[in-house]
Amino acid sequence: MHISLNGRPVDALPAGHVTLLDLLRDELALTGTKRVCDRGACGACTVLVDGRPVYSCLTLANGCDGHELRTIEGLGAPGAPHPLQQAFALEDAAQCGFCTPGQLMAAAALLAKNADPTDDEIVAAMSGNLCRCGTYPKIVRAIRRAASMIRETKSNV
Amino acid sequence: MSEPKSRFITTTVEVEGRTEQRVVEMPTFELEPWGEDAQLTHVGARATRVDAGTKATGNPGYTTDLRRQHQAYAAILRSTIARGKVGRIDTTAARAVPGVLDVLLHADAPAKTRLFLQEITYHGQPLAAVCATSQEIAERAVKLIAVEVEKARHSVTVAQATAPDALPVRPGLPNNLLFKEPRVNSRGDVAAGFAAADVIIEREVHTPCVLHTALEPHSAVCEWDGDKLTVWESTQGIFRVRDNMAKALGIPLTNVRVICEAMGGGFGAKNYAAAHTYIAALFSKRLGRPVMCAVDRTGEQVDTGNRPSSVQRIKMGAKKDGTLTAIELVAEVPLGIGGWEGGPGEIYHELYACPNVRTHETFAFVNTAAMAAFRAPGHAEGAVGLEAGMNALAAALEMDGLEFRRHNIATFDQKKNRPYTGNRLAECYDEGARRFGWNEWMRERGNKAGNAARRVKGKPHLRRGVGLSAQIWSTGGGPPSYATVRFNNDGSADVLAGSQDLGTGTRTILAQVAAEALGHELSQVRAIIGDTGATPYAGNSWGSMTVASLTPAVRMAAVDARSALLDAASGLLNAPKDSLETRNGRVHVAGSDRSMAFGEITAKLGNVMIQGQGSRGPNPQDAGIVTTGVQFAEVEVDVTTGVVRVLRIVAVHDAGRIVNPTLAESQLEGGIIQGLGFALFEERILDARMGLPLNVGLHDYKIPTMADIPQIDGIFLDGADTKANHVGARGIAEPAIVPTAPAIAGAVADALGVDVLELPITPWRVLSALKR
Repeated sequence: MHISLNGRPVDALPAGHVTLLDLLRDELALTGTKRVCDRGACGACTVLVDGRPVYSCLTLANGCDGHELRTIEGLGAPGAPHPLQQAFALEDAAQCGFCTPGQLMAAAALLAKNADPTDDEIVAAMSGNLCRCGTYPKIVRAIRRAASMIRETKSNV
Repeated sequence: MSEPKSRFITTTVEVEGRTEQRVVEMPTFELEPWGEDAQLTHVGARATRVDAGTKATGNPGYTTDLRRQHQAYAAILRSTIARGKVGRIDTTAARAVPGVLDVLLHADAPAKTRLFLQEITYHGQPLAAVCATSQEIAERAVKLIAVEVEKARHSVTVAQATAPDALPVRPGLPNNLLFKEPRVNSRGDVAAGFAAADVIIEREVHTPCVLHTALEPHSAVCEWDGDKLTVWESTQGIFRVRDNMAKALGIPLTNVRVICEAMGGGFGAKNYAAAHTYIAALFSKRLGRPVMCAVDRTGEQVDTGNRPSSVQRIKMGAKKDGTLTAIELVAEVPLGIGGWEGGPGEIYHELYACPNVRTHETFAFVNTAAMAAFRAPGHAEGAVGLEAGMNALAAALEMDGLEFRRHNIATFDQKKNRPYTGNRLAECYDEGARRFGWNEWMRERGNKAGNAARRVKGKPHLRRGVGLSAQIWSTGGGPPSYATVRFNNDGSADVLAGSQDLGTGTRTILAQVAAEALGHELSQVRAIIGDTGATPYAGNSWGSMTVASLTPAVRMAAVDARSALLDAASGLLNAPKDSLETRNGRVHVAGSDRSMAFGEITAKLGNVMIQGQGSRGPNPQDAGIVTTGVQFAEVEVDVTTGVVRVLRIVAVHDAGRIVNPTLAESQLEGGIIQGLGFALFEERILDARMGLPLNVGLHDYKIPTMADIPQIDGIFLDGADTKANHVGARGIAEPAIVPTAPAIAGAVADALGVDVLELPITPWRVLSALKR
């Protein structure tokens, strides 16, 4: 199959039962995407398929043939982090950090379609992503901050 | 020639009636405490977490993300019965799966690893393991191992384990009780206390068994180089894991190196090496390649520890003026197949002033996975019972709950009859009440007839209520803990300490303390932690001890290094040492404009290394060291559906000096949110007939989500506990969770006008309570 992964063409030959999560972590060594429940219950494995957030543990790798994938490794560039990554750091929105990649990808999908989400919209978009350290209040703040950083950048262009 | 001062003092102490010789280590020099008014630059600043950037890339270095060359993967087969014996095991089908490299059974494991015991004592017990070229193959193959078991009668409840005809839940137990009998602690005369009471209440409170549910599972990668073993482990205690591995495998400590660069949560469950660590080490030895063993989610929920459930029968008495006269607790705790006495009783002796207290706790071994410390073990569940009792007494006395608690503040350590180094609980009550508007609520309550204050305009199905709870937890930390601070020859500095960062921010605060004591820029100081091969000893990150234990050692090491730097600078600047000051990475001659950057001085020294050593001195023996605090909750209950929504939590705690307020608030919010889960959602449900945990995934074991989070206003009082240690800091992680659930339970009870005596407060329990 051929996919676009973080902007680069990638060829892979996963077996029929291999999930997108296992393809990323085990075959392509992109370990930023996390395996926590492996049952679609926690959101730690969230990646973007054509800009839409999906649980990669519930997505068969073969089903992604021809699609555009983005993982945490492709959210920002080295030395040029995405505004969400900057905002998460500035607002202390990661304690242990293990859920953070999934949180960031879910948030990126939200901000791509809603540049100025209300708190209720943030909560609705992010409720599929668990955090056991209880960093939620700071995640909400970080998303608001990133949204305003992105809007400012756009209005300055 | 001069002799260095001896660091060790031998003293004779009396321990439970026996005299013992103890060697106490004294720091080689003493430091003046940073007082409350100390002018500090980095300590107390809201510095950004130093690893925040790498965490936002997803790759700060978690064990489960390691991909060593030729790394293989292990999976564990677990028992599906609670009690019995292992019979014949057929591994043919598993070994036949392409990619399977090896299988481990009981006979393959050294006895001290206690792996794959033939006697099955709980559901989830490891029985065998498979190693394969991928995780997916290992997990598929392990299911193909056929195990014959001989079932036996289990006991998973205290009633079953203590029945006259109960069988030992594991071989060799005289009965199924820890210490062979209940633990009884008492002071004063409880009978006399009740005789003197004007009001007496009795209640029975139930708290659930809850699971740590760290998102990164217990995991290890082991790799041998000849007879030397490197272990990457997701752990709260690198040195303890090293100890465990050396003992279990019978190899010298020096041959074991344990590394934990980053970890995805622990909460008390990751304090030791465990089956997965031994399995990875054994496979790695047999196969000659690195092996990862990461526990799967079911295994993580079933077999890596829990906060045990409790039943607390309480009786409390008070005088009409609100003075407590007696507290009595009879409690039962099912520990699981192993565990210790982290029971609910202790807080009954500590939180409120009361001369007559008696606790009677039965800790029973049962055929479920062993408990493990879980954020404030014992106190979190004990507070639920104690505060339910306080609420009942306040109601019986017709006293305001805040006023009643404030009247009974423990002003000294009643267990050891000594003062506290500092305890500003009274201020916490006042500041919390002010922020929450407690008195306004109570006034409104008093002004309107009946329950009007609990109603929500236009929403007849909703009721609002408020509750509060106090908290106490020993947070002094202590020795041994060591640190080295060394200058590199460009003037930047490294802090080396054998601690680890669970997500609490250890790396950041150690750098802040070192930068402060050196007079350096924070960006020029880096903490190197999480590697037994590179750092001096520090203890486990448990018991809210890391900051109080380690920061004094780091400060001392930095002071030592700074002193050596000033020795060198004194000659270079041609000024006496005592005229030199350090600020922002420069040495200044006081009263002049002469100065040198640290890097200029170290460059002159070439590779002559300046390094300082620090150690943690003993705690004061004549005073108790505690963090105290209070939390207020406001809830809204839907009386038609039974759903409870927490609207607001106000938390005010006194933890001495706060090294980094942002990180402290993150931990406080985290503790509150875990406490909210304990109050409303979380409960391991056990089928007592089958001995089977039923909700072992994240779909049916409910932890809080973003949608459940109230508005949280959490703060720490400004200050410094200079009697506790010379940094003035105490711990905060565990105090944060203790009062949350009791405050929420109190608020729900207030909203409904009925007692709430059982957690979690699910819709079903709310509706049942309303029917009573």
